Amino acid sequence: MTDTYTRLVSKGVGRDVAKKLGLPQPALLRRYEPGQPLVNGPLLVVGSSTGADALATDLLAWDLDVRRHAVPREKLGGIVLVLDELEKPSDLEEPVLRAAPSLRDLAPNGRVVTVSREPGGTPAAAAARQGVDGLLRSLAKELRAGATGNGILLADGVGATAPGALGALRFFLSARSAFVDGQFVRVGSSDGKLPDDVDTPLAGKVAVVTGAARGIGAAIARTLHRDGATVVAVDIPAAGDHLAEVANEVRGTALQLDITRDNAGARIIDHAVGRHGRLDIVVHNAGITRDKLLVNMDHSRWSSVIDVNIAAQLRINDALLASEHFRSSPRIVSVASTSGIAGNRGQTNYAASKGGVMGMVRATAPLLARHGGSVNAVAPGFIETEMTARMPFAMREIARRLNSLQQGGRPQDVAEAIAFLASDAAGGISGEVLRVCGQNMVGA
Amino acid sequence: MSSAQPVILGEMPSLSKLYVNAAAAAARRRILGSHNSTALPLVSHEVRGVLADVGNLTAYQHLLGESASDILPAGFIHALAFPVAMSVMNRDDFPLPLLGMIHLRNVVEHRSPVRFTEPVDITAWTENLRAHRAGTQLDIVAEVRGPGEATVRWRGVSTYLAKGVFLPGIDKAAAAVQPAVFKAPDPTALWQLGVDAGRAYAAVSGDFNPIHLSVLSAKALGLRRSIAHGMYLASRALADVGAAKGEAFRWEVSFEAPVFLPAKVALDISTAQTEGAAWLRSDYVAWSPRSGRKHFSGSVTAL
Amino acid sequence: MSIDGQSVNGPEEPAVSRAASSAQAVRRAVVVGGNRIPFARTGGAYTKSSNQDMLTAALDGLIARFGLQDERIGEVAAGAVLKHSRDFNLTREAVLGSALSAETPAYDLQQACATGLETVLGLANKIKLGQIESAIAGGVDSASDAPIAVSEGLREILLDLSRAKSLPQRLQILARLRPKDLAPDAPNTGEPRTGLSMGEHQALTTAQWKITREAQDELAYNSHRNLAAAYDAGFFDDLLTPYRGLTRDSNLRADTSLDKLASLKPVFGRNLGSEATMTAGNSTPLTDGASTVLLASEEWADQHDLPKLATILDGEAAAVDFVHGKDGLLMAPALAVPRLLARNGLTLDDIDYFEIHEAFAGTVLSTLAAWEDEEFGRTRLGLEGAFGKVDRSRLNVNGSSLAAGHPFAATGGRIVASLAKMLHEKGAADGRPALGLVSICAAGGQGVVALLEAH
Repeated sequence: MTDTYTRLVSKGVGRDVAKKLGLPQPALLRRYEPGQPLVNGPLLVVGSSTGADALATDLLAWDLDVRRHAVPREKLGGIVLVLDELEKPSDLEEPVLRAAPSLRDLAPNGRVVTVSREPGGTPAAAAARQGVDGLLRSLAKELRAGATGNGILLADGVGATAPGALGALRFFLSARSAFVDGQFVRVGSSDGKLPDDVDTPLAGKVAVVTGAARGIGAAIARTLHRDGATVVAVDIPAAGDHLAEVANEVRGTALQLDITRDNAGARIIDHAVGRHGRLDIVVHNAGITRDKLLVNMDHSRWSSVIDVNIAAQLRINDALLASEHFRSSPRIVSVASTSGIAGNRGQTNYAASKGGVMGMVRATAPLLARHGGSVNAVAPGFIETEMTARMPFAMREIARRLNSLQQGGRPQDVAEAIAFLASDAAGGISGEVLRVCGQNMVGA
Repeated sequence: MSSAQPVILGEMPSLSKLYVNAAAAAARRRILGSHNSTALPLVSHEVRGVLADVGNLTAYQHLLGESASDILPAGFIHALAFPVAMSVMNRDDFPLPLLGMIHLRNVVEHRSPVRFTEPVDITAWTENLRAHRAGTQLDIVAEVRGPGEATVRWRGVSTYLAKGVFLPGIDKAAAAVQPAVFKAPDPTALWQLGVDAGRAYAAVSGDFNPIHLSVLSAKALGLRRSIAHGMYLASRALADVGAAKGEAFRWEVSFEAPVFLPAKVALDISTAQTEGAAWLRSDYVAWSPRSGRKHFSGSVTAL
Repeated sequence: MSIDGQSVNGPEEPAVSRAASSAQAVRRAVVVGGNRIPFARTGGAYTKSSNQDMLTAALDGLIARFGLQDERIGEVAAGAVLKHSRDFNLTREAVLGSALSAETPAYDLQQACATGLETVLGLANKIKLGQIESAIAGGVDSASDAPIAVSEGLREILLDLSRAKSLPQRLQILARLRPKDLAPDAPNTGEPRTGLSMGEHQALTTAQWKITREAQDELAYNSHRNLAAAYDAGFFDDLLTPYRGLTRDSNLRADTSLDKLASLKPVFGRNLGSEATMTAGNSTPLTDGASTVLLASEEWADQHDLPKLATILDGEAAAVDFVHGKDGLLMAPALAVPRLLARNGLTLDDIDYFEIHEAFAGTVLSTLAAWEDEEFGRTRLGLEGAFGKVDRSRLNVNGSSLAAGHPFAATGGRIVASLAKMLHEKGAADGRPALGLVSICAAGGQGVVALLEAH
């Protein structure tokens, strides 16, 4: 799946030539495989708050090589910058500059994660907290060789070692977040629960994935299955053959269903509960594009995109919210799109629907909260799929390189983010949109 | 049993030699003129201890659609006895030209089964020389018994016509009664007979009469194309009647228009049963689906 | 069998399930669900697909629908009418190629067009007897990938050659080879004993029962209309898995009309004397496809949290003497259904759904005509009068073979799965579980019929 260019400039003569010519040199990203070490080397935890100490202690319990002070020229797997007690902008300098020299020692595919508080409090505190945003996004753009920088925002009252914070930290440090760069995740509460077994965080869960026959949906089904979930793979009847292959591969069941049908929610609940005894996770992945400049847009292009991409999700969510079978820390994860954030020429209908997904997620979060539930969206950037493979060559090459990692992501990258948000550990994260875009220049 | 004088042949007559001989006799007659015999020879020919070839039997059964049982089909016994019958008609004192004779009718009484492992004695003679509106006809009778047995297991009477031959001393037959117009019923079967149907039957029956073998050999004998063996058609109809007929039955066939090969032949078989659903008889009739002309008809009845 | 005393289990009976009342000694066998691939007209989407390919695809769709990956099913039985000799173990090979446990046993069965239904009945009986807990019945056929045999002459030469011991012997055998022996021997659909094709046979029966062209065209029209409506309603969403780009039966003509059907020229029975009424529109085309049905004991279905759509109550096979013209080739169901219903104390009026396989429109209509015929009832069924009338509004309500096509051995599975779903959706009728009847005619003058009850 790695594109030819990336492979070419990653080693040997190709690498040297690319370097001399100043061509982009995308790295071969490290992707998650069960059993691999969380990070590629020791972890430096910078920060002097009690939160930093507590975090360092917890990280030690993960069998990680934790350093509170940098050892010169020692290659680091990651740097955790704990900034949870900033009072004013000048508080930033000490920890940031203390961590700075270590950036040089960051191993390929290294990780930088900031832990800070969401903007608020006094004007000075808010300025300091918001400063982390600009700092991290810029730092992420300075990182090379597959390294990424992401941040965790703690709501007031949420500790640095809340389940959501630790869950997000594990996600950002791990290879699961390979294509997530320059992003923040907000932990709004101390809800959630860390998994008994970090290799199977979804053990015992029953997950429904719509649009599971191909591409990103199929990758989501595989990833959820890998993480221990029983998967109900849903797609339109016409895609049933691919759907059956996916369902058989993930040892799940196939449900051929047009999600725009009125009873789709009931059918999904009946199938999951009837066949598998419960329903914990619903991933709204099914989506279509019918691109046209707005000036040329017609009813069928507009309405079909809106109906499939957001109206159907709303109807299914209504059924889920009304169902007594969706009450035990339920999770909804929707697939949005960077088009819905930054816009995209020719995709007014699509961007409206995906913007809608993000609005829906925010407004649904309080409705699920009373059952310990969460709802989030993942917004993929340029992901290498059958669809993008059909793009014209030049447009595809440009789209691929327009991000900090200088390459397209893989369906698995989107799936990893969804699997994280679907896990118990992410209970404190709700109403959020997580971008999986390699820090795309567009709409950052 | 005939009153004819028995002549015991030492071995089965060779049909091919008989055909050659018949051709020679025909040529001789053409040159020397008709010979003066006007009565049937008062002899019967007999061959004892005849054993069927099992490979040949199997090939016959496959070709005709009979079950490949160990019991000789009635039509197979006809073919087995045919050389003996031919040898009688091939005698110098036989009054009619053998070549060109037309098979009009055949009646078989199959009284008890013959297994291929049992040798049989075959006796054949001619009788009942009589007039036909188109010439002279006669019956050739063949009987099959177990070795040394008195009871007949199989008896066949074949009626042949020597067309255009009128012997002195035999009154001319009355003008033919106009046969009823044949109206074809809905068929129960449709046979597709290839050009090689004659050769295929010749291979299992041993009857290599040139009129059945190829267009050329048939043309040599004055026919526009080769024609199917009558006994092949009748035997297929018998096979189609199926197992219901049991082991003892009477099987009749009357031939009308010949079947020129290749051909499609439509067939209707209708079966009559007793009140208790036991098989009584099956009647069959075959015709050309193209022209509607009747080829043959007959029946199989319980004995 | 006489059908006297058919009121024994009349409508005044209490609302108990027949499965419970008539067969206390044995367990129930239930239909859990089914899966088939869309049926494709021969020479279409599945031209290059083998029977094994299609059966495996149908199995994998079933496995995906019911989560049977790595499951050891009690037994899988399927078959094909047109079968390569290399496919002697077709079903087992398909199982090995599927996501089922490799420890699932399988066998092949063949009863011409009744193959699929017969696998259902045979496996249901095994479940009822407690020999197995779960089973998959199925069937597949490809007229596109049909076997072509070598000529009889070449076959014998090859066989003799394999038995020859010396070079001279071999040369002698080879010398028998003639050019015509090299011509292949393609399969034909003619009945071996009559030489008549199935269509010609049906043409005779159609004429015998005086079925009009208009009536046949109307049945064909309804089949297309009903099937198209069922697709539009999503009826097949959980009965069918697309294959090779096909998402619907390729023979389906949703836009057909009586006028279009009336414009077609007759293709069967043109040389048989009577007026020819059978066209390509009111006869099934040669079709490729495969179907499967998941059967189980109630316990197994419960343990696996799987649905129980319908119970397989009973089945009956019949055959007719078509060789001697006593009955039409495809009329055996006309005898089988009265026997089946009599044994279960039922009449045609008790049946909520009739699934009569549309080999030809004439087949269905001749069967219905025979049942309505007093003389047929008296002489062939041993009744006082006519057997009865089928309520046409209950006949093939979601379309049948005229529209869907008819890959011979796959038709039984298609019908059983669809009927089980229909019965399950209907649930009860007149205070008792809904009843469905399947009737399938087959080559060789055979017919297999079955009775299903909503679970």
